Amino acid sequence: MRKQTSGKSEKKIRIKKDLGELSQERWDKEVKKKKKIRNARHLVRVCIATTVAACFAVLFLMPIVLTITNSFMSASEISSNYGQVFATTDTGGKVYIAEKVNLKFIPDMVSFSQYITVLFKSPEYLFKFWNSVILVVPIVAFQLLVAAGASYGFTRYRGRIKEIIFFVYIILMLMPYQVTLVPNYLVSEWLHLLDTNWAIWLPGIFSPFAVYLLTKYMRRIPVSMMEAAQIDGAGEWQIFRHICMPLCKGAMCSIAILLFIDYWNMVEQPLILLSDQEKHPLSVFLSKINAGEIGLAFAVATIYMVPPILVFLYGEDYLVEGITYQGGIKG
Amino acid sequence: MHFPEGFRRKISQNLLWDFLRKGKKITKNKSKKSSSPRTRKGKLVSAGYLFPSILGVLLFFVLPFLIVIFYSVVDNPISRQFVFLDNFVSVFQNNAFKQAARNTMTFSVVAVPLAVVLSLMLAMMLESKIPFRSQFRTFFLSPMMVPIASVVLIWQVLFHYNGMMNEVLTLFQRDKVDWLNSSFAQVVIVVLFLWKNLGYNMILFMSALSSIPKDILEVAVLESATPFQIFWHIKLRYMSSTILFVTIMSLINSFKVFREIYLLKGDYPYDTMYMLQHFMNNTFSRLDYQKMSAAAIMMAIVMVIIIGILFLTENYFGKDVEG
Amino acid sequence: MKKNKKLIAIALTAFLAVLWGCGKGSDSGTETGGYVYVPEYVEMDVECNYISAVTAAQDCVYLNTVSWDEETGESSNSLYKYDLTENKGESLSLELDENSNINGMAAGADGSLLMMVNSYSYEEDENGEPTNYSSKQELWVVSAEDGSIQEKKDLSQVFSDPDNAYVQNFCTDGQGNIYLSDGDSGIHVVDQNGNKVCDIDIEGWINSMAASKEGDVYISTYGEKGLEMRKVDLGTKKLGEPMEGFGGGYGNSEFMTGATKSFLFDNRSQVSTFDLSTGEEEVLFKWIDADINSDSVSQKGELSDGRVWAVTREYSENGPSSCELILLSKKKASEVPQKEKISYGAMWVDSNVKRAIIDFNKTNEKYRITVKEYGENVEDYQAAYTQFNADLTTANCPDIISLSNVDFHMYVSKGVLEDLYPYMEKSGVKKEDYLENIFKAYEEDGKLYGIFPNFYVSTTLAKASKVGDKSGWTLKEMLEFAQDKDPQSLFSYGSRSSIFYYCIYNNIDEFIDWESGKCSFDGEDFIKTLEFAAGFPEEYDYQQEEEGISSRIRSDKILLMDTSVSSVQEYQMLKGMFGEEVAFLGYPNSERKGNLIQPAAGCMGLASKSKNKEGAWEFMQILLSAEYQDSLVESRGGYGFPIRKASLEKQFEKDMTPDYYEDENGNKVEQAKTTWGWDDFQMEIMAATQEEVDAVRKLIESAEKISGSVDQQLVSIITEESEPFFKGQKTAADVAGIIQNRIQIYVNENS
Repeated sequence: MRKQTSGKSEKKIRIKKDLGELSQERWDKEVKKKKKIRNARHLVRVCIATTVAACFAVLFLMPIVLTITNSFMSASEISSNYGQVFATTDTGGKVYIAEKVNLKFIPDMVSFSQYITVLFKSPEYLFKFWNSVILVVPIVAFQLLVAAGASYGFTRYRGRIKEIIFFVYIILMLMPYQVTLVPNYLVSEWLHLLDTNWAIWLPGIFSPFAVYLLTKYMRRIPVSMMEAAQIDGAGEWQIFRHICMPLCKGAMCSIAILLFIDYWNMVEQPLILLSDQEKHPLSVFLSKINAGEIGLAFAVATIYMVPPILVFLYGEDYLVEGITYQGGIKG
Repeated sequence: MHFPEGFRRKISQNLLWDFLRKGKKITKNKSKKSSSPRTRKGKLVSAGYLFPSILGVLLFFVLPFLIVIFYSVVDNPISRQFVFLDNFVSVFQNNAFKQAARNTMTFSVVAVPLAVVLSLMLAMMLESKIPFRSQFRTFFLSPMMVPIASVVLIWQVLFHYNGMMNEVLTLFQRDKVDWLNSSFAQVVIVVLFLWKNLGYNMILFMSALSSIPKDILEVAVLESATPFQIFWHIKLRYMSSTILFVTIMSLINSFKVFREIYLLKGDYPYDTMYMLQHFMNNTFSRLDYQKMSAAAIMMAIVMVIIIGILFLTENYFGKDVEG
Repeated sequence: MKKNKKLIAIALTAFLAVLWGCGKGSDSGTETGGYVYVPEYVEMDVECNYISAVTAAQDCVYLNTVSWDEETGESSNSLYKYDLTENKGESLSLELDENSNINGMAAGADGSLLMMVNSYSYEEDENGEPTNYSSKQELWVVSAEDGSIQEKKDLSQVFSDPDNAYVQNFCTDGQGNIYLSDGDSGIHVVDQNGNKVCDIDIEGWINSMAASKEGDVYISTYGEKGLEMRKVDLGTKKLGEPMEGFGGGYGNSEFMTGATKSFLFDNRSQVSTFDLSTGEEEVLFKWIDADINSDSVSQKGELSDGRVWAVTREYSENGPSSCELILLSKKKASEVPQKEKISYGAMWVDSNVKRAIIDFNKTNEKYRITVKEYGENVEDYQAAYTQFNADLTTANCPDIISLSNVDFHMYVSKGVLEDLYPYMEKSGVKKEDYLENIFKAYEEDGKLYGIFPNFYVSTTLAKASKVGDKSGWTLKEMLEFAQDKDPQSLFSYGSRSSIFYYCIYNNIDEFIDWESGKCSFDGEDFIKTLEFAAGFPEEYDYQQEEEGISSRIRSDKILLMDTSVSSVQEYQMLKGMFGEEVAFLGYPNSERKGNLIQPAAGCMGLASKSKNKEGAWEFMQILLSAEYQDSLVESRGGYGFPIRKASLEKQFEKDMTPDYYEDENGNKVEQAKTTWGWDDFQMEIMAATQEEVDAVRKLIESAEKISGSVDQQLVSIITEESEPFFKGQKTAADVAGIIQNRIQIYVNENS
């Protein structure tokens, strides 16, 4: 790390030399002049960029808007628009058939009937919603906690063994869950966790994903800072608590958002590991909408979007700030 | 903007060499210091911080992976007769596996670079101080929040045989395309993947762009470098590590696209959408754990190679400018 | 912007907080926590052919039984009282004439018994037909001590049509009001003196009605989300909102007045208590764990000390039906003698198997079978099936695996199942004693992997005069036969999906060549089948036909009948329906062997991972034993043929033995053994002829394959992709191409 920093300053000095012996005043003037010339061109570019961005934004926003507006449609309106898309066969498979499918943004008549059903008439959706919360929140909280410790371990006193372990973490992180799901089932069965929330929590909590992200970030903290603290007599805990953690606050928040969104949408793990369908989160239900429930599905999906949006609104600034220092696999 | 040729090569060669021997080198450095009992204690404590995570990973990730290895060398999960590499041979010769591997590879090779390039372009666009920047940023991130079910439903409506896309085609007097049941299926899932992932990648790039030292850019401007030159020689070089990071994240996410395909078309989709995860999923539900495990291990080996290459590439390009 | 965001965030948080309030209290545990309910059988010296009403009051159970005398043909009513605290039973004298029935009994507020009695009267006209029918509904107040009638009140005026009213549900509330319902039209409430209080209209069928322990009356009806329980509110004369935390599901569940909690709730698989004040349901026990067949439980209730009583009625063909009073008391699991556990795993447990398991558990000293039903109360069948499969590889693997609704061949190839022949040999069960083709169907490489006690044969029937002496056909031949005929004239209930089952799924090997890993769904045969199926309606409209099946068959409006033959008597009936000789064509099959074996009762295999194979086999061999096989022989034809040769012969013999009665001159006259009917057709079955038995024997011998072993995956692919063709959006060839493409992956994966 130290070596690189010195490399950079060396470069800067060298660049200045190339420019001749310019005074600071001159330097600033030159820069301003060049910038002015480019400003006119810049304006045109901004216009084009804005238009393009606006087009993209429309495309990107469409599903979210559609989900929300359609949740205010009455059941009959939904089925007249999509009814034929989702027809359920007697075998349980989905058949998608329609003469013409309409994507309709604005409901003919705003109706709250779907919400009334979801919120008041059939409490099972809410139960499932809370199942989701109960499953996801501990995973996010404790995965961060474990990851904070682990990445500190990976950051301090780097050695070959640690490097190898870290590489293994990356490989494990990249494994699709299909690979580990079955053995996970066997392990949970062996530990008698099957059919309890622990079967979802524990593998989630120890997932290497957050460790990887946080380590990448923590390794950007100059070693000199920690060493200085050490020389001042700080122990490992003090370094961890008073140097690493405050600096990583943003990163932790941004990772929390990613984790939350990821686990909030999990489908396969609960399906396999929780046979008691009363414990299933709402995402499992949402992945299996069928003909009768498609109207409700939009309302349920909208409610389901609330926590991610919330997490997002509270944490968006951290999301951007948190990754500012990120980059590089090795960091 | 030019560095002396020799300078760059020297640095990068050194770094590559450095990487290959790095572990040793660092340990050497440390071993000099380790005479101090205090450092030794610190090392031990820092290992203690690692401990819970390693324990959990061993139990919930490494142990399962060992089970996978075990299953890959037995004939089936019930009788468990040792067959050594037979499963690998039979899986490797299996047409479905070949198809799946080919599809997964094609998808990753097409979708991951596209995700990187397009999100970089978006990031550059938002960089150019356009109005409503932060709103646009939020909009681009919104696909992350939409529940999968709505995504699948909407995709279904768009790409259905009688859906919106085909209606647009008919407007231009073109023949209808059966998007989900033809070779166009790959296009559909690439679009789906990009739509979901561009936003986050873009954020990563935006923060990398903003951390490029201003003075270097200013020097470039002074030197009358064209915007393209600035982009190619400065911005890209400074972002090389971010690019690799984004690549890895996109790779991870490219494996996750299976869920959408699965919800769109079930266990056995049209063959152009048939992914390795389909193969694993289906062999799992048919109790062919040995096939699933053999496939998983082959996938893991390919993964180790890819990541290894990415590591080396990053060290080759990234280190000389990193701040 | 920042401010806006904050506002939105706060609003959403508030919204979540509201949700939190709505969603609380979701717990409904199914833990029974180390306790078991132990049954105790109570002797009752009462003869009962029929129990018309049961109720309990002050820990006494009152049964109103009806028994009839075979000789005189007269029935007699009696009231039987059993005191459960003192364990003493006595018959009470109840004066009830021949034309009166007790439709309901309830405990009155003052300790007397209330009965709803329906008395009818009619006169016979000159032809002996009843005329001037009239009926009245009376409320009787009967002494709980001796059964003397204290008061009779005529409540006929409560019903709009008293002559045809039938009281389905009957109960009283804490104030002594009486609630009557005749099932679907509503509830009538009268006060103690028989004066009408109000009528409450109810939409839909009333599933159950009972007063809570607290004295309020609740009913359950089927709503959108299954069973809903609502309070009957006399103040507003309306029903309340559905109770939260209660019930759900569509099973035929029932609730009763509770003694410790508000209600006792039985969903036919388990019994629980339900507390109205907390909205909590607590599971007491599963019927099967207490060795009780829930199908035979007719009434149940709770005693004040927490014990549960149940009255079971076992119908038996040979001999009088028996009824038992069972008392279930809670004991610590450790106090109950421990037996070695054998697990039986199934997607669904067949009721015959359930009965066999209960009998086994009751009598066997060493082993006890526990049942795990994976498909019970699940929304997602596929997930449950995955779970079932996954368990087979772990230590959770059941000892006995039900092979109904699962992929048998896959299990065999994975070594899940144990070869049963060595076990048969060891326990002296001879292979030769059983029908060869039946064992062969579950045989692979000379090893037997599954057994079932009885079976029937699925086939296609046609008039012999139409199809000649054909005894099977290929798909091509079948399509040729159908070519110039109106699809509507082929099958009685033809719909597209049933045609696919008929042509493809029972014949899937014709399209998939596992050897070479090729499939031919884009071939001519499949395309033709698609076009053929397109001639059938998507769903068969059962209302459309004015004419009955039999008359349509006889007038050649229907040519084929896709059905099953489960007994000689059924064959006799089918022949009668066709009005002439019939031929068994079977399902289309490339080898013309389309008669399929269908296990009638559960089919099971022994897990190779089982740690207690001896015990598991001990149960399985019961199903093969001469005793059990002979018990399947029934004079009314039975449902399914026993697989043991000697028992099958016994059945045939019984079918051929005529029944006689003596006429007034003392002559023996042959009489009908029983009556069979289908749709518009009804027929008295006489003793079968040798030819008829031979025809059935030939049918049984020709069946070689087990039906219904097609993977659901294939069904959903074909159903999903063929739909655009039926809707006229794509050509048959296009659709077939897509199906071929998708199924090819399936085949590749598994070859």
